[in-house]
Amino acid sequence: MSPVETDVEDAVPEADMLALIGHEFPGGSRRIEHWENWLLTDCTGFDQLPDGTVHPIALFHVPIQGSGMTIAALFALGRVEGAGSVGLDGYDWEYFKPLREDVDYRVDGRVVDVERCSTDAGRIYDRFVFSIDLTEPDGNIAARVTNFWRLRR
Amino acid sequence: MTIHEGAQIPKWAMERVDAQRMKTMAAILRDPYPVHWDRDANEAIGYGGQVINQGPLNLSYIANMLMAWQGPHCIRRLQVAFGRPVLDDDNVVATGIVDSIDEVDGERRATCTITLQRDGEDVVTGTAVVALSDE
Repeated sequence: MSPVETDVEDAVPEADMLALIGHEFPGGSRRIEHWENWLLTDCTGFDQLPDGTVHPIALFHVPIQGSGMTIAALFALGRVEGAGSVGLDGYDWEYFKPLREDVDYRVDGRVVDVERCSTDAGRIYDRFVFSIDLTEPDGNIAARVTNFWRLRR
Repeated sequence: MTIHEGAQIPKWAMERVDAQRMKTMAAILRDPYPVHWDRDANEAIGYGGQVINQGPLNLSYIANMLMAWQGPHCIRRLQVAFGRPVLDDDNVVATGIVDSIDEVDGERRATCTITLQRDGEDVVTGTAVVALSDE
């Protein structure tokens, strides 16, 4: 192990990160109100959607917040802070039903995978994967997100 | 007009990525990551004087392209990877092409290769599954 890798291991032990696999978020419920959807849609530069349809990009923050987490809490869980500490590798978002304003979605999430990796340049990072489900009041799943983050060490 | 394999999805452009929208988005997301709103914080990572667009906003331009094409309820799945950051004042264009069409759960679905490009460079790449509207 190189001195750099030793420093990383001291700061954020790999075992601590691997122990997060299976970690359940608190869970909860989340309603998307009209004003929030309006602003969100406006930020994307698209026309407002009809009939209380929520912009599909809400699947980033609504699942996180509804699961009882925040982006800051996820950073803390992954032990990262500051500019450049987090990278976005990818998303896999599934839409089983259109998302609607003023629906109380049940939200449940968990860490599904963590892997310590290094870049071609030898920079250490943890691949951090979490998945969250949104369920309608009648028990039908509305959406599932799986997000892939890069936590740089 | 029937959608077929190989069809090009009409492009959707964000002509100028706006730092003010990033600030609003950061508030909606409750996102404390300074790269989206603090130009000074980005000096240390080589983007001094600029701010980095949120990943969800980059993906939203692709979602907008798909909704403009097949309606607001058409998206069934988005699988994407993010490349280089998109910065304020960038001009980005969402593009897509139909790879295959299948019948699933009583609807015709197109699996599409999707990209977000800046000056011809792919900054988001991936696959979308889209329910095709009645033709």
